[in-house]
Amino acid sequence: MRQISRRKFVALTAAGVATAPRGLMARSVGGTVTAQEIVDRIKKNIGVEWKPETVDTFKAGDPSTIVTGIVTTSLASLDVLGRAVKAGANLIISCEPTFFARADTRILPARRGPGTGAAAPSGAPETPLPADPVFMAKDAFIKKHNLVVLRFSDHWRLRTPDPFVQGLGNAFGWSRFADARNPKVYSIPETSLDALVSLVKKSLNARGGMRVVGDPQLRIRKVALLPGSTPIQASIELLPGVDAIIAGEVREWESVEYVRETVALGGKKSLTLVGRIVSEEPGMQVCAQWLKTFVPEVTSTWISAGDPYWRPTL
Amino acid sequence: MSALAAGEVVARIKANVGIPWRDTTYRDTFKFGGPDTVVKGIATTMFCSYDAIGRAVEAGCNMLVPHEDTYWNDRDDLSIVSGDPSYKLKVDFMKEHDIVIFRMHDHMHAQKPDFIYVGLARALGLESKYETAPQSHHFTLPETTLGEMAATFQKRLGDKALRVVGDPKAKMSRLQLGVGYATPSIDNPDVDVVLSGEQQESDGSFDSPAYVLDAMTVGIPKGWIMLGHNVSEEQGMLEMAQWIKSFTPEVPVQLVRSGEPFWVPK
Repeated sequence: MRQISRRKFVALTAAGVATAPRGLMARSVGGTVTAQEIVDRIKKNIGVEWKPETVDTFKAGDPSTIVTGIVTTSLASLDVLGRAVKAGANLIISCEPTFFARADTRILPARRGPGTGAAAPSGAPETPLPADPVFMAKDAFIKKHNLVVLRFSDHWRLRTPDPFVQGLGNAFGWSRFADARNPKVYSIPETSLDALVSLVKKSLNARGGMRVVGDPQLRIRKVALLPGSTPIQASIELLPGVDAIIAGEVREWESVEYVRETVALGGKKSLTLVGRIVSEEPGMQVCAQWLKTFVPEVTSTWISAGDPYWRPTL
Repeated sequence: MSALAAGEVVARIKANVGIPWRDTTYRDTFKFGGPDTVVKGIATTMFCSYDAIGRAVEAGCNMLVPHEDTYWNDRDDLSIVSGDPSYKLKVDFMKEHDIVIFRMHDHMHAQKPDFIYVGLARALGLESKYETAPQSHHFTLPETTLGEMAATFQKRLGDKALRVVGDPKAKMSRLQLGVGYATPSIDNPDVDVVLSGEQQESDGSFDSPAYVLDAMTVGIPKGWIMLGHNVSEEQGMLEMAQWIKSFTPEVPVQLVRSGEPFWVPK
């Protein structure tokens, strides 16, 4: 259904050229490539076995679509999709879901909420939900611009070294400080927690998503990076050996309380949370670079989804 | 008067809770000490942090009734934490002060009313006249903007690390209240703004910021205000303290706040 005629494709790319900024324009190096062919190459180059059960699948669009350009992002928000279209790209590779749920389907799932939390009696027909305007707008935008959206999360973080950790380390200017024995740990020139937090905020363009546990004057030499969402086990494993953990998202009743108590008990430790989406941005930037190595036909560009949060000042 | 044992306090909690006690709960059990520990005073708290336990001891309380886990994982599975130096220090401190901990989570949320929601609505100034239906946790408020609403709530709670998603100028009236990690779905057409404690940023189900970001792009007014887990549920531990006090006249009962754990950069 999404496959387009050759003539229409030429017309579309011509329109793309007219609006795309220089340097982001789709280019052709030795023929065309489809979204499915790119996924096949990803599977060949990823270096880990492809899982039978995975979220890393197409979420929208026809895999046989000829790709005009690739955009990687931590979150395929409508804003990111719009900027991808302006840049002439039609394959979006997103770390996080497109359709607001782990199920990530174009079919609207059942809604939780007041009065709707109880399961329908067994055998009763499911009440169809009214069309959701945000969902419909996003789906219509994807169709209108003939976009293909691929989620790429499970396998990308299984690579060694972890590209999400590597990307964060690069963003902080720490690539030469990586610990050879533990790739999540960096030994950096001594600084204070306060200065570290400022560096993190600036490097990641963070707005209101950052939250910190620990003494601002704490001296920091060793830092562990935990991008994405991590359980208590990861914090317990790393905290004793470092002064600071910089994480994307943790459960507050787990790692936040663990670090708060460790600090209260005299431990010279800290935890800086940047948010899951923000923490995954540099890793998806690395992904765009990696794709270039085996997809020469089109450009691969990273687009920042940005920090979703802001906060009023007390 | 004979000494009050922790087991007797728990028996009275079970007798007064108003719903059948579910013995299958792994949450609402003793986490330190046991039924025979003699109770000098009772402190309710959100988290049994070392700091909160210390302040409870200073206030003459050795029984703590927290809403959340004691050992940094929901099941209080000691195999995850027992090798950690902080665990050993915490346990030594609790032994030294003859502490007994009994968690109240599942039954607190099942109680009518759920004190966690009562306490949060009180602290936010969400009067019952605005609630759409009793215990719906859905409020129709005088129209304001997301920016003004977030600033007002932040001031009321002193919540430094509150986080907001959405257009600060978007008009908001219909609020759905959530607490802790129970964040209502944001796609409900009867809801402009969801206010809750904590939620995963993605991989849930219509309960994360991505929907609000896209609604903003389309121009549909939606907002998401996250207070933090501690701030969102701690308020109701005051109601829990008052309730326990009503049937344990032998000992003092009070709320000890574990407080917001975060600071935020400028």
